[in-house]
Amino acid sequence: MDDLTKEFLAESMDGLDRMERCLTELEQRPGDRELLGEIFRAVHTIKGSTGFLGFNRLELLAHAGEGLLDSLRAARINATPEVVSGLLQLLDVLRQILKLIELTGGEGTRASDQDSALVALLKRLNGMEVEPNQEERGAVVEVRELPSATVSGASAASLPAYTSPTQSGGVSEQTLRVDVEVLNRMMNLVGELVLTRNQLLQVHSVTPHVAELTRRLDSVTADLRETVMQARMQPVGHLFGKFPRMIRDLARSCGKKIRLECFGQETGLDKSLLEAIKDPLAHAVRNAVDHGIEHPSARALAGKPAEGVIRLQARQHNGSVVIEISDDGKGISIARVLEKAIALEIITAERAANMSKREALQLLFLPGFSTSETVTHLSGRGVGMDVVLANVEKAGGTVELDSHEGQGTTLRLRVPLTLAIVPALVVRSAEQSFCLPQGSLAELIYVPGRDAAASIEFIGDAELYRLRETLLPMLRLDRMLGLQSQKAEDAQGFYLVVLEGEGVRFGLVVDEILPPEEIVVKPLSPVIREIGFFSGATVLGNGMLALIVDTAAIAARAGMDRLPEQETVLFSTAPEMNLQQSFLVFEDRRLESRTDRGLGREIEPGFCVGAEAELGHATERKVLPLHAVERIESVAAHQVEYVGRRALLRYRGELLALEDAGSVLAEAVPEASLTVLICHASENGRDHRYGIVVRNVLDVAMGELLEGTAPLCPERLALVNDRLAVVHEQVCLEHVLEEVS
Amino acid sequence: MSVPENGKSLVGLAAEDEVALCWLTVDGRLLGIDTRQIREVLGPRTVQAVPLAPAFIAGVLAYRGEVLTAVSLRCLLDLPSHSQESCVLVLDGGGNPFALVVDRVGGVVEIDVKSLVATSATLGTGSKALFCGAYRTPEGLLVQLDTNRLRPEHLSETGLLERETAGERGR
Repeated sequence: MDDLTKEFLAESMDGLDRMERCLTELEQRPGDRELLGEIFRAVHTIKGSTGFLGFNRLELLAHAGEGLLDSLRAARINATPEVVSGLLQLLDVLRQILKLIELTGGEGTRASDQDSALVALLKRLNGMEVEPNQEERGAVVEVRELPSATVSGASAASLPAYTSPTQSGGVSEQTLRVDVEVLNRMMNLVGELVLTRNQLLQVHSVTPHVAELTRRLDSVTADLRETVMQARMQPVGHLFGKFPRMIRDLARSCGKKIRLECFGQETGLDKSLLEAIKDPLAHAVRNAVDHGIEHPSARALAGKPAEGVIRLQARQHNGSVVIEISDDGKGISIARVLEKAIALEIITAERAANMSKREALQLLFLPGFSTSETVTHLSGRGVGMDVVLANVEKAGGTVELDSHEGQGTTLRLRVPLTLAIVPALVVRSAEQSFCLPQGSLAELIYVPGRDAAASIEFIGDAELYRLRETLLPMLRLDRMLGLQSQKAEDAQGFYLVVLEGEGVRFGLVVDEILPPEEIVVKPLSPVIREIGFFSGATVLGNGMLALIVDTAAIAARAGMDRLPEQETVLFSTAPEMNLQQSFLVFEDRRLESRTDRGLGREIEPGFCVGAEAELGHATERKVLPLHAVERIESVAAHQVEYVGRRALLRYRGELLALEDAGSVLAEAVPEASLTVLICHASENGRDHRYGIVVRNVLDVAMGELLEGTAPLCPERLALVNDRLAVVHEQVCLEHVLEEVS
Repeated sequence: MSVPENGKSLVGLAAEDEVALCWLTVDGRLLGIDTRQIREVLGPRTVQAVPLAPAFIAGVLAYRGEVLTAVSLRCLLDLPSHSQESCVLVLDGGGNPFALVVDRVGGVVEIDVKSLVATSATLGTGSKALFCGAYRTPEGLLVQLDTNRLRPEHLSETGLLERETAGERGR
């Protein structure tokens, strides 16, 4: 394809996009001369160029359209919905031919590529008599393989399954129209850069001049980068421009009245991101029309104006672009969402009863979830919101859903301005620098050595950091990456980078935090991508190469699930429908392993719960529901007898199996006095008694069992006295009993 | 007799009876790479290690606005990874450039293809697949590396070095 044709295509497509916007507006303001002028120009340009390019089919159509538009301009006829529909149909055919030219180089000469029906329609609309040989007079509408054939009456029902209006990969999408002004500025800056480099090359020794040159170089690069970014930026309006037509057609097909309001169309967004959110946005708008806005009669009943409003809003906020699609429709019924979720066995009925509104709305993002009773041709097949979420997340963005029943729904897409250059936090771990994208960064915490022990809780092997009444899973970057950190001791203090994303929140322990930098993301080779931890690499200001850590992948590797059901339970210690009960708090294990981790001294026997914090110990405490404990006995160590390796105690005429998880017995001298908890358990209707040898009984306190902590640790957890404790496992006891009997 | 009209066919002709090899050494071994496969010899460079990467990956390095993956030839040849000197070459890799870390890069030698002998059987079986020929030269046997097989993608696909990788991880 020659350059001339390419240029013609790009120009014509642009013109048609403008025409589409104007046509839908024209329906609201028939007779607006400016709009008519704009539409006329678009069609006229096509007609003008087709002549010398030799596209007869286009010329014929454009000519017919021009005739109709001319009559409109001269106010000989009015812009009735029929006329607008006819013009829209013309627009579709023109666009289709342009695409055909882009693909094949020709405008199509097959028998099916005849436009006489459309030409006749346009002529008829123009008030001209159609030649008698025109047979299709009445049913003019069937223009085959049209993506949308919506003309008065006939085809309101045959609504298109709206594929995205433009197929990707075409000339018009891979090219970018850049303001000449922007290009000039870029060229100037590049010239400046070359000059500065030349000067730098001539500087042989360190002179005061160098500092000045560096400053200049710095400012030139910053400006240049900014300008190049600007060139890539496109107003969101380009995206919004597709929607008036789409909403008009969709609304007509479902017999609804809908007005579209757009705000912040001038907001700029990187071209590639604009492409990435195009489909999710179209989907959201489709949802709003189909599910959101009610039929005029239903709206009247609800006391709302018959015409529904869909609002598209774009604005910049904190280095990202927020796009909101809101409607004033019926909103989402939380009750129905939950009902459906239970029916689909996604959640249990009890879980549903405890779900917050936000959590319930999150269910809509699960694959295959739809509350719609009827599958319409527009939506309701249950394919949708999960795809929207996936697409937006792929572009580095997030999706939020908010809805008030009876008042409407708002979907909020948040995407970064650009993906090429991102602000990142530079951290060091095991003598290596890594970048953490700031998008996922929530906060930075320095934990001084003296606080380290007190603020870390252990559940099995998992470490949790106590941050303002919530427990934050802690991951160590060096260990995750299989590196050996020089700073093994927490006692020296450490940095905790709190990261958020994809439904999880966790703290990443690093050795050092360096100033943040705006990094240029470079792709990695497939072999390194395969590791799954790094999303790219960058050259830092000091010239060193640093890998960009994929924080979501780290969370996934650490086994943190993003299921919405677990999300809140995991990280909140708030009681969930569990009644308070009394627990016996005890300690059976000497915490030697803790000292290895640098968490301070060994725990002396005899300390009590209240003193823990002051002593600076991190402890793993165990608890038993108080009703399971009959007595606390003091037993001399020599009274314990052994059969094989099993420890037994003769107690009040019974033989009790002793459980000794903390190997207290092995350490005890014969004279020592042991503390044994005499417990009972009923299994299969039989009552057993057994003993637990513990190091210390600490307290009796109120607390509650926690639910849904399974992903964090295998043991059951309870919150007692506002601290976490492991519930002593009954399973182990039965095991002991079996061994004895 | 027809005279070749352009440089291309001249090169083509030359390649038929003579091959230009850039010679390099690894642990005293003499190896060669077809000069047409080499983009640039960078000399000693710091290569940024990549945690959890397969052992044959020496790391990554920045090269003309790109980040290249560097392959350690020492590792591929089952040699200890530490050496006194190191030199980085950028290889073409059929449009996907990658770096190769060797001990030292010497000069270019033009070798008569007639001096080609079969791939030496004295080399280990695991790494033998990396060679595509050996030439007898006055200095000794010059073994030519098959750059296509050195590509990181190829190495990870073939699983040639799984044994070594596992060993490295185990340590």
